[in-house]
Amino acid sequence: MPYRLNYPIHQRTLGNGLRVVVSPDHSVPLAAVNLWYDVGSRDERPGEFGWAHLFEHLMFSGSAHVGSGEHLNALQALGGSVNATTWFDRTNYFETLPVGALDLALWMEADRLATLPDHLDDASVETQREVVKEEKRQRYDNVPYGDAMPQLVELVFGPDHPYGHTTIGSMADIDGATVEGAATFFRNHYRPDNAVLTIVGDITAKDAFKRAERYFGHLPSWNRRVRPAAVALAPLTGVTTREVTGRVPAAATYYAWRLPARDTWGFDACELALSVLGGGQTSRLHRELVRSQRVAAGVGASAMPLIGGTSFGVVNVRALPGQDIDAAHRAALVQIERLADAGPTQAELDRAKAQFAREWLTELARFDSRADLIGAYATLHDDPDRVNRKLEEVERLTLDQVAEACSAFLEPGQRAQLDYRQEAVDAAQ
Amino acid sequence: MRRSDQRPEVKAPQRWRFPDPTRLWLDNGMQLMACDREGQHVAAVSLILDAPLNAEPVDVEGVATIAQRCLDEGTAAHPGPSFAEALEDIGAVLGGSAGYSGSELSLEVPTDRLGEALGLLAEVVREPELRPDDVDRHRTLRLAEIEHLLANSAHRSALEFRAACIPSRYRASRMVGGSQATVSAITHDDVLSFHERYYRPDAATLIISGELSGQEFAQAATAFGDWESPAEGYTSHEVPGSRTPHCWLIDRPGAVQADVRLGGFGIDRGDPRWADVQVATHALGGAFLSRLNRVLREEKGFTYGAHLVNTPMREGGLISMQGSFRTEVVPEALTLARDLLDLTSAPITQAEVTDAVNYTKGVAPLRYSTAQGITDRIAALVRDGVNVEFVNANFEAIGLVTPESATQSIMELLPPDGLTLVVVGDAASLHDQLLADGWLVEVRA
Repeated sequence: MPYRLNYPIHQRTLGNGLRVVVSPDHSVPLAAVNLWYDVGSRDERPGEFGWAHLFEHLMFSGSAHVGSGEHLNALQALGGSVNATTWFDRTNYFETLPVGALDLALWMEADRLATLPDHLDDASVETQREVVKEEKRQRYDNVPYGDAMPQLVELVFGPDHPYGHTTIGSMADIDGATVEGAATFFRNHYRPDNAVLTIVGDITAKDAFKRAERYFGHLPSWNRRVRPAAVALAPLTGVTTREVTGRVPAAATYYAWRLPARDTWGFDACELALSVLGGGQTSRLHRELVRSQRVAAGVGASAMPLIGGTSFGVVNVRALPGQDIDAAHRAALVQIERLADAGPTQAELDRAKAQFAREWLTELARFDSRADLIGAYATLHDDPDRVNRKLEEVERLTLDQVAEACSAFLEPGQRAQLDYRQEAVDAAQ
Repeated sequence: MRRSDQRPEVKAPQRWRFPDPTRLWLDNGMQLMACDREGQHVAAVSLILDAPLNAEPVDVEGVATIAQRCLDEGTAAHPGPSFAEALEDIGAVLGGSAGYSGSELSLEVPTDRLGEALGLLAEVVREPELRPDDVDRHRTLRLAEIEHLLANSAHRSALEFRAACIPSRYRASRMVGGSQATVSAITHDDVLSFHERYYRPDAATLIISGELSGQEFAQAATAFGDWESPAEGYTSHEVPGSRTPHCWLIDRPGAVQADVRLGGFGIDRGDPRWADVQVATHALGGAFLSRLNRVLREEKGFTYGAHLVNTPMREGGLISMQGSFRTEVVPEALTLARDLLDLTSAPITQAEVTDAVNYTKGVAPLRYSTAQGITDRIAALVRDGVNVEFVNANFEAIGLVTPESATQSIMELLPPDGLTLVVVGDAASLHDQLLADGWLVEVRA
């Protein structure tokens, strides 16, 4: 157990429900500000797919004292790195800047939280609708295999489940967003009691709490929304398959499973098991399909952590150009079956844990990603200090536990499968 | 106290300097550099080999890439997959690439296993197995990778823009990992001889950053000290020039967007205009409300992002406006971009210079706050033959940029009537309108 982490964690909840977490670190004269709002694509109702993400864009379109685009531009001009992301379980807004600009960042974040819906207008909603549609084309529609995730979550969760669609949403729903719709979405989700403010950097806890109170303390309070207890879905029954024919450079197959909710032993065990299966040069799929049998150009495996009862695990296999994928598919299923039957070896498990440890330490190495992890654990588990204990949780997992998780959650007979076939004409020609 | 209506004052940032690495040269000519960063529990290590791609025989271009990719497939001490196991067992990850001006191996490992990791790194460069079937497999995988790169619109536009800006007699005009034809021709012997000739201590620099114990140079000396250079000499780096401007429309039938590059051949860090171009690039297409992004994204909604990107090479560079636009707005977007890049009647302002200078200086502490950030920065400079002192000297130079010098640098590098254009998109929808707008595009498959 080599790593006993002790990043300092100080917490306070303001009168209006805003949770504030501070982790001082004086090694660099910077501060990272991170706001996790407990709203993501899982909160979108039918007809609203893509709105959480569209809304993230609109958060930069100006508020009472801040002009359109000024939030990003003004903080950049002070040496800040600024951005925001939307995912199934969250929307986060963050900036890392010289500590002398911390007050301005907090003031701007508070300004848009307090006043944004009153300043939305048709022009900004229309422009950002187009920008988001361009983002969808650039990152998904115009990229080989770009629609894999939307297809897979639909197969694994079903189209009506909160996780059954991805954050980018649908063109039709994005087109349907209006000023009123955006304002309502904002009022439902953007509230002090539905957010966690994390500050990491060259500042004392006392000073940071004082500033949080100064800029956010006056915002009206709400009653903290209590989400209904998440329901875990049982594993898929049988094999659900879908075939897509498109302009891809080679045939490919994706296998996906329902996994336990994030930060449970079962999820962590599946994450390690997927690493054993497809997570690097020593992984079983790489060795067998790429190195020994030479039937695949590449393999991959990953676990996607989700809080709402059920997470998602995926394995992908890409054929060599011009070859069909049947041999790779058969070989992959043999390896998946072997792992589900008997779990990993002790050496494989130790290796997966060592890799997990390095990745975790790397995430904590930067102020911005550290603040984001702290915000995640505060928002999803009410336990930001868990960033210090997570490595021990993973280290403690036994071979039996991982084998049990493999057999419970990674059975080949409980999978969804997405097959890409090549169109007759190669896109590259 | 309630002060929500009043915009807070910003205090000036503290003065910051890029760390000066500790250096040592081993007797065999290998250079060592180390940066100690407290609290960085993952060490970042980079080994740079001064092996320019123009050293590759022209009919087997890509051999540097294949050699680099075969290195970790087994060593004398750890044959076959046992090498990767030994590496992953200590939580390490090894990456690498063969770039135009040098090959690089990069290693990340928790600091308490750094000594062991350096030993493994020495194995891969000094005594890799390089077995015929490893070469054979990596050749096949590289050929598959080429198909994937060409099928990706963004990659395709980068490749074509490079070819459109740099004359074909230079290696820098072609794909870094070689083409279908040259990769297919690479033999086991080609890989062995490239490795033997170019993996050598007198052309190697080892960079280590992280929370260090003080033992790192001794550990490196143990691992690399008795490594010997071959007698065969050194290949000097090519100095590419620029082509006359071209307008290429690369057909991607049915594409919902077009990837666009508009610009030309640029400069490297040694050019006296380097700081000017950096500032101008930020003002025109770096900041969120830079001229290009403000108009093409925030006003028009034509794109997810339009950027001016300035990429130095060891000698010369590439500079271009980049963006993906839905097909129907491409002609208008290009006309706007051309106008926005023409500074004749709209020179860069003092306010733009101030913002760009503050941004560039302000983001440095974050960018270089981690072991990885520091090692990556030093590695990029070493690869391109630039002293580490450049980072701090460049900060000083940035502070001296004026609106006039920034404007002038762009007028020289991006003359409105001398721009190279690459559009990767649906030619049937775009060709006629682009011609009508004055772009003399040549359609290419």
